[in-house]
Amino acid sequence: MKWFRSLKTTMNLWTVFSVIFVLLVLLPNLSIIVQFFAEPNENWLHIREYMLQNYIQNTLILVFFVGILTLFIGTSLAWIISAYDFPMRRFFQWGMILPLAIPPYIGAYTYHGILNYTGVIQTSLRNQFDVTVNQQYFNIMNMPGAIFILTIFLFPYVYTITKAFLARQSTALVENARILGSSSWRIYFRVVLPISRAAIIAGVSLVILEVLNDYGVVSYYGIQTFTTAIFQTWFGMGDLQSAVKLSGTLMVIVLGILVVERIARGRRQFSFTTTKVKLLQPVKLEGRKKWYAFSFCMFIFSIGFIIPVIQLIYWATMTYEQLFSHDFWQLIWNSVSVAFTASTIIVIMAVVISNFARLNRGMLAKTFPKITILGYSIPGAVIAVGVVTLFTALDRQLFGFYEWLGLEPTLLISTSLFMLVFAYVIRYLAVGYNSIESGFDRIGTNFTEASRMLGMSVTKSFFKVDMKLIRGAIFGGFILAFIDIMKELPLTLILRPFNFDTLATKAYQYAVDEMIQQAAIPSIFIILVSGIAIYVFHHVLEKE
Amino acid sequence: MFVHIRNLAFKYPNSKDNTINDFNLTIDQGEIISILGESGSGKSTILRLIAGLEMPTNGNIMVGDHCMCSNSTFTQPEKRGVGMVFQDYALFPHMTVEDNIKFGLQKWSRKDKKNRVGEVLELVNLEDYRKRYPFELSGGQQQRIALARALAPKPKLLLFDEPFSNLDADLQIRIREELRRIIKSTGVTSIFVTHDQDDSQALADRIVVLREGEVAQVGTAQEILGTDCNFADRMPVKPRVLSRV
Ligand SMILES: Nc1ncnc2c1ncn2[C@@H]1O[C@H](COP(=O)(O)OP(=O)(O)O)[C@@H](O)[C@H]1O
Ligand SMILES: [Mg+2]
Repeated sequence: MKWFRSLKTTMNLWTVFSVIFVLLVLLPNLSIIVQFFAEPNENWLHIREYMLQNYIQNTLILVFFVGILTLFIGTSLAWIISAYDFPMRRFFQWGMILPLAIPPYIGAYTYHGILNYTGVIQTSLRNQFDVTVNQQYFNIMNMPGAIFILTIFLFPYVYTITKAFLARQSTALVENARILGSSSWRIYFRVVLPISRAAIIAGVSLVILEVLNDYGVVSYYGIQTFTTAIFQTWFGMGDLQSAVKLSGTLMVIVLGILVVERIARGRRQFSFTTTKVKLLQPVKLEGRKKWYAFSFCMFIFSIGFIIPVIQLIYWATMTYEQLFSHDFWQLIWNSVSVAFTASTIIVIMAVVISNFARLNRGMLAKTFPKITILGYSIPGAVIAVGVVTLFTALDRQLFGFYEWLGLEPTLLISTSLFMLVFAYVIRYLAVGYNSIESGFDRIGTNFTEASRMLGMSVTKSFFKVDMKLIRGAIFGGFILAFIDIMKELPLTLILRPFNFDTLATKAYQYAVDEMIQQAAIPSIFIILVSGIAIYVFHHVLEKE
Repeated sequence: MFVHIRNLAFKYPNSKDNTINDFNLTIDQGEIISILGESGSGKSTILRLIAGLEMPTNGNIMVGDHCMCSNSTFTQPEKRGVGMVFQDYALFPHMTVEDNIKFGLQKWSRKDKKNRVGEVLELVNLEDYRKRYPFELSGGQQQRIALARALAPKPKLLLFDEPFSNLDADLQIRIREELRRIIKSTGVTSIFVTHDQDDSQALADRIVVLREGEVAQVGTAQEILGTDCNFADRMPVKPRVLSRV
């Protein structure tokens, strides 16, 4: 009787919709897991025998080196910028996030364009100095090149998380170390790295997940990894079944990384435990030292942002007529409309699930948030495989229904935009969710409870009180998801309907077709939108 | 008996022992009850159970003729007709004083709403503050608005969680008297929770001493604080009252 009472009273629309939404997120993943254990075909045996080892090896090399390099670049920048004052420090605080505005695949072909035989460096050397260089030294399309690209455009993840931690949580320890007269290097290695362990691990994990997700960089540079293999077996060999097996294997790797992250972080959370935060006061650098710090930051900022952007702008001046073509505006419309639709759905789902989770106790309320953010860890190509297998199965079920409706009995859902939007939602739900959840955390449950004591139901309380108070967080979540979706490549390449292009897919396609100048305008558009968002967010967050 | 609480028990999912254990209490209509206990003894939890913000593991609560909860039924907080003044007041920051008070009057007609807002603001002596936002009020004013807001829908039972904890000492003494006057003038049955014996004594008709989720004593202020000389040993709170009686 008591459990029945419990069930009855917690069973409201919020619960019902939360359950449905969480199931929607789970289904494609389950679909992969189920088929992962299906009888293997010959192709898979071949792949496993001769190629899998290579995929694993390349993937791990990338993950390892990009992980280590972003760790050092990200944390050292975070340390220098939070602990010292030097020229342009205020700008670098947020400027160092800007490389994130450039999707790595755009960075990849931009740098290739700068360095190749017809690129600006080699042409200048030839024309001005009559020097012809050995191509080998200027070839970026290899493993070290891919490591460079991914590092320089992904390190801001480590930088932002570590910096937020250092600025607020390290004050006492760092000030003590300073009083004791430790040198800055010593403080960096002995104090900063150990105490920010949890933050650093969180940042590096994000980087690693992005590396595993990447398709654009590795395929452009011709490196075989899991994502490129999934594309090849599926589209090259038409073997979806083996693509599922590869996806399943990649999922196991991702889960492994998440487990390692958990263990490495230990019980330490990097969240701000004390409400009274004392901000770390930067020490003013003098003389030569201040120029060292400045140069280091400027160097990273140049290769991570200025150089590629200048190159893209230069190319854009050669192809600006594109702006006046109907096709280009169609691209913008496509990108914006799918991103807008998916972000709206994301925000609604995130609000429902997080409101349910915060107002209830018990198993469901505890596990739902974890499932909700699962999609963000899973590479886009894998989600694509999951979604496709799910929807083709669904279409097959509905085959008779389509016939009955008199429709041309075809694959209806699995070739529609619906599928693409659905996949975006799963992949980026976490982005919206985290923002909205932190909004709810800030206001607590007091206002909701007060509202209920005044006779409003949970739903009415939400619309009259909670929603008004977390407007900012809802909007923030929407914008973050929107930008991620605009930049997205692998999912979109796989799931877009025939002849449907977004800014991202078109830019990538131009680059692959050796029409690098043409890729510039759509790329700049993506960078501009992301850059503006980063600027706005930093300046809003700083005020809070 | 107006309020009837029987065998109430409750446990937070992440705690080992029962937070509230076999709690029993009956309250007359119009009576002011104080639940007195040290921090962590479970005072807020009891209020939350009565309000319906938590679901008990056992026991039942009757208010008037209505069963708020038993082992087979549970009335949602918004349906209980119970009002509450929160420890930090929880005034909605995005609404004016007037809108805050009207919030609980959604089913009332426009004219009745307006009259009622006037009435309760007069009661708490803040008629001129209708259009202010909560952050434009002092702590004491916020508290009186929170009281006005809770009184506006004419609740059957009014709950206060540590109503004075956010006020400075001299204000606390003044407001205490005023609060009793206001409550008594409306005749609403009330329970307020405190860790301060002075509060209990000044405000309550009867005091319930709570210790580790169980009722340790029930009685008038005189019975509990006045005559029991061993009280100082058992209550870890400083027995300021004893010297004054
Ligand atoms: N949300 C919660 N989850 C778990 N334990 C809680 C929660 N709220 C309170 N408690 C515990 O229940 C006990 C009683 O708390 P509470 O009712 O707030 O005490 P009081 O109001 O008398 O200070 C305390 O031991 C407290 O730690
Ligand atoms: Mg309390």
